[in-house]
Amino acid sequence: MLGFLKRTFRKQQGEPIVVVSGLPRSGTSMLMKMLDAGGMEIMTDSERTADIDNPKGYFEYERVKDLEKESDKSYVREGRGKVLKVISFLIKDLPDDNDYRVIFMRRNLDEVLASQNKMIQRLGTEDSTAAEEAMKEAYRNDIVRTRLLCKNRPNFELVEINYKNTVEDPVATAHSVNAFVGGHLDETAMREAVDSSLYRNRSKS
Amino acid sequence: MLGGKTAKVKIDRDLFDRLRKVADVAGYATTEEFVAHVLEKEMLHFEDAGSDDDIRDKLKGLGYIS
Repeated sequence: MLGFLKRTFRKQQGEPIVVVSGLPRSGTSMLMKMLDAGGMEIMTDSERTADIDNPKGYFEYERVKDLEKESDKSYVREGRGKVLKVISFLIKDLPDDNDYRVIFMRRNLDEVLASQNKMIQRLGTEDSTAAEEAMKEAYRNDIVRTRLLCKNRPNFELVEINYKNTVEDPVATAHSVNAFVGGHLDETAMREAVDSSLYRNRSKS
Repeated sequence: MLGGKTAKVKIDRDLFDRLRKVADVAGYATTEEFVAHVLEKEMLHFEDAGSDDDIRDKLKGLGYIS
């Protein structure tokens, strides 16, 4: 039944928006870079520029940061046929008048938190007061919520991509992602966009 | 006492014995009532996306939400 609804929805909503999602520092920018290199149009305002945390750029669209608060979300439609980066916490706030193909980046939570903590130190911004283990638990819940949401909403499809596997075998990820978004991308350019030297916060386990 | 339709779930016998003891001490009418209560509470973590202030604070610090 859900499969039928998903197919019907796709016909009505025009081209899907490819959403690159995940926790911050889970490899979303790397995946955006791969899709950009592969030939997909990116929905970005280039406001957040490259820095030491993301030397190849963020590929973000600033207005997305307000998805939770803003009531007029009609601008998201501009992303049809393009790629839009939306962190997993905000996936719930995407409007239902589009069809979404979500590429969900997964990375070891210790690595994610280590990288996030370094970034917050560099930015000098206020951090959450939650203890490390509580933060991990909150993120685990966020991941499950995202999976449930994509399963339950007929206009969402999801594929999960592992960050470490991508760095180690970009050919496989390029192929999986290309198949998921329609098979028209340049897989060679996609795999060449992966820079393993940027895998800096590695878990010992 | 559970209202409405019910379904059976199989769990490890030792775990069930532990649940029964805690349910009794905690004052639940039945072990089933205790299990349903615990599961309902746990489900809220996954179903209630609006309650996660820890994540919201972290994301603000990282510059991913405003």
